[in-house]
Amino acid sequence: MAAQAPAFMGAPEVLIERLNRGVTKRNARWTFVRDHAFGDALTLRRFRLGNGLTVLTVLDRSAPTVSYHTWFRVGSRHESPGKTGLAHLFEHLMFSETRSHAHGDFDRLMERAGAEANAATWTDWTCYYENAPRDALPLLIELEADRMANLVLRTPQVASEKEVVANERKLRVEDDVEGKALELLYDNAFRRHPYRWPTIGWMQDIRGFTVRDCQQFYRTHYAPNNATVVIAGDFNEQKALSLVQRHYGGMSAASNAEPPTPSKEPSQRAERVLQLTVPTPTEKLLIGYHAPSFSDPDTPALVIANDVLFGGHSSRLHRLFCLDEEIALSVRGSISPFIDPGLFEMWIFLREGKRKEDALALLDREVDRLAAEGPSPLELEKAINQLELSFLHSMETAGGKAEQIGFYETVANDGAAVFDRLGAYRNVTAGDVKRVVAKYLRPSRRTRVEILRNGS
Amino acid sequence: MSIFVESSDVLPLVDLEVALPVGSLQDPAGQEGLAQLTGHLMRRGPRGLSQERFEDRLASLGARLSVDVSMRSTRIRATVLRRNLEPLLALLADVVWQPALRASDFAKLKRRAQAALIARRDDDQTLGAVCFREALFGEHPYGRTLSGHTDSLARIGVQQVKDFYAKNIAKGAFVVGVAGDVAEVEMRSLISSHFPRSRRARKKGSDVPATRVRRGRHVVIVDKPERTQTQLFIGTLGARTRDRNLFPLIVSNTAFGGTFSGPLMQQVRGVRGWSYGAYSRLLHSTQRDAWYMSTAPAAEYSADCAALQLDLLERWVDGGTKKADLSFAQRYLINSHCFDRDTPSKRLETRLDVELLDIPRSYVDKYDQLVARVTRQEANDATRARISPRDLIIVVVATASEVASSFEQLPGVRSLEIVPFDRT
Repeated sequence: MAAQAPAFMGAPEVLIERLNRGVTKRNARWTFVRDHAFGDALTLRRFRLGNGLTVLTVLDRSAPTVSYHTWFRVGSRHESPGKTGLAHLFEHLMFSETRSHAHGDFDRLMERAGAEANAATWTDWTCYYENAPRDALPLLIELEADRMANLVLRTPQVASEKEVVANERKLRVEDDVEGKALELLYDNAFRRHPYRWPTIGWMQDIRGFTVRDCQQFYRTHYAPNNATVVIAGDFNEQKALSLVQRHYGGMSAASNAEPPTPSKEPSQRAERVLQLTVPTPTEKLLIGYHAPSFSDPDTPALVIANDVLFGGHSSRLHRLFCLDEEIALSVRGSISPFIDPGLFEMWIFLREGKRKEDALALLDREVDRLAAEGPSPLELEKAINQLELSFLHSMETAGGKAEQIGFYETVANDGAAVFDRLGAYRNVTAGDVKRVVAKYLRPSRRTRVEILRNGS
Repeated sequence: MSIFVESSDVLPLVDLEVALPVGSLQDPAGQEGLAQLTGHLMRRGPRGLSQERFEDRLASLGARLSVDVSMRSTRIRATVLRRNLEPLLALLADVVWQPALRASDFAKLKRRAQAALIARRDDDQTLGAVCFREALFGEHPYGRTLSGHTDSLARIGVQQVKDFYAKNIAKGAFVVGVAGDVAEVEMRSLISSHFPRSRRARKKGSDVPATRVRRGRHVVIVDKPERTQTQLFIGTLGARTRDRNLFPLIVSNTAFGGTFSGPLMQQVRGVRGWSYGAYSRLLHSTQRDAWYMSTAPAAEYSADCAALQLDLLERWVDGGTKKADLSFAQRYLINSHCFDRDTPSKRLETRLDVELLDIPRSYVDKYDQLVARVTRQEANDATRARISPRDLIIVVVATASEVASSFEQLPGVRSLEIVPFDRT
């Protein structure tokens, strides 16, 4: 039986020295940046190619699978009015032909290998990912590198994908009560910042894109120095880095990949109220308070506040709205995980015949109470344990690990920060929660969408 | 009692599951929704703890608990931080052996279930899926909805729930599974101490009558106002779990509509851009369950999309699948099979399915061989034997006035029915 190659070469300096041996092109030379341990089992290692491509690796041999994520620092915030939705449309086009592969090859090769390949776009990023059997890693590296540099954009594919995206918009927004309300919320909560337009884009913008728009977008944003690759799972690190070097090392950094800083959103000084009338059986309330950015030091305390208010069956608002008063079928809260300040979104799904005014009064009362009294020690304990449980669940699979690390790398500028987040939650005190609730959850900072039934 | 343990020390996390072979098929006629109400009332906690204290206890342990009821099983699932496993296990045992089943909780739960039926009208995909099963199976128990309907819920009282619990759950005919950061020997002993009365689960469902194909093509429009986009379900009966055609049909269906590269997705989305998704699914159960295609085309070309799908379906069934496409599907199924078992909880779930749902163990142990040995002849014969393009249920959630005439003109349509979206 042949000896198995070691997973990685121990000291990263030795690994880098081997990989760079005989490599003269600056773009293809590796640098080891640092590593970060999480418990005994996991270590995140950070490497950089000469052309600026960042590669993060996490070995986990608990299953014979590997996950390969490519995170580009481009999302809907990098678009301009009249061209909204381009980042998302482009995500679709990335599954098209390249100079080396015909249209359809990408999906066919991936599926034949047993890989799940998909992508997602949001305000700050676009992520392409594959979850695959471990033996498929060379194919993933080859195909991802290929489409980063060699995509071919032609009229038939652009026309067809525009139609698909138009249908996706109908599915997720136009005929979807929640999608439509969210679009209205962000369009009104933000006046200047690009977070005001939807990631999927306005329909007239989707219809209007040209091949030239797409080519320009590709040249600007799709470059190794605007991307992070995360490899997680059961793989040989040296072989993987060697393949990355071979397939990406010939690319050059883009000079204009750094986007302009978006306009700062002016402070909101008065509540904004909108009404949306749709064919729905029950009324709903969607409220968005201006909230801090994902990396802001106040965010962990606000996340705890969200859990106290909305986190599961024992939360204050679930009990009040769904069990005691029976005014709502469900309630939900979340804080948008954006690079710039976003919104603390709150949903109240009213029961038939219940009044939105009553729901709003109850919500305001509970928010005021939390600002005045803070959470109890039991509520803090529950919130922190629930967040720990969620975190561990998110790390169960190779794909989960890659997703978390890639997200933190792109939004918080440090993939290893994912492992420190729990510590930040544990350091939150009742006083912190009181302070951030009082600071952020003021009616003057919110936009409210009242979703009404047709005819009501 | 059957205990299944899947150990993995990668994360300090444990999943627990008490699984019973009891589901909506055990709902008495006219009391549809009883199994789900029973499960959800158990979820409100054991005797001696108010619901509020029960929820506080779960959350403070870093645990979550759900009760999921399907047609043939009830799964009481908990997940917990490893350090709190033992108190959670004790709490779970109390939920199973001593559920409070309080009348006051039941009244609230029933009102909630009725409110959920109303809220469901917002979800076009669910409206379409429910209507499709009702139209396909008619009065057969497979056509029942898990959550019942307004009238059936109204007929259920707390005593029916208590009786259902006593008859189907209290006797302890269930299996227990644990996955995650546990040692098998220790875990078996711990479970035996909390579930001493458990006896082996008896597989249920074999007494369900055979499902019958409704002859001809029948259109049902779920009429909802202001739809710019439609939800389309086209299907017929598929296969039984113990059908000799099952694996040939799994491979054949995968080649047709189980992947992004298959003809269904390529023709509907790739070439025309008509729908964001386009897949076909093959379900199997004790009796023949459903096979169906689902797409979501815009209202203006919904009928054209349906016509295209019918054409693709006929070509698939009558013309068969090419050898290369079949080989592609086989490779896809075998290579991607690792994602059915890449976490301890998925491995556990598979073992529990075998135990509860009368799935032959060989389907799991020899999955790769069963897929690999399907020949083109077998796949095409199985498709022709089981999928009838002449006998189809076509359900579309749409604004009826905009689509009815074009759907009526689809080839072979024998009947068209329009049902309001807000019937419950």
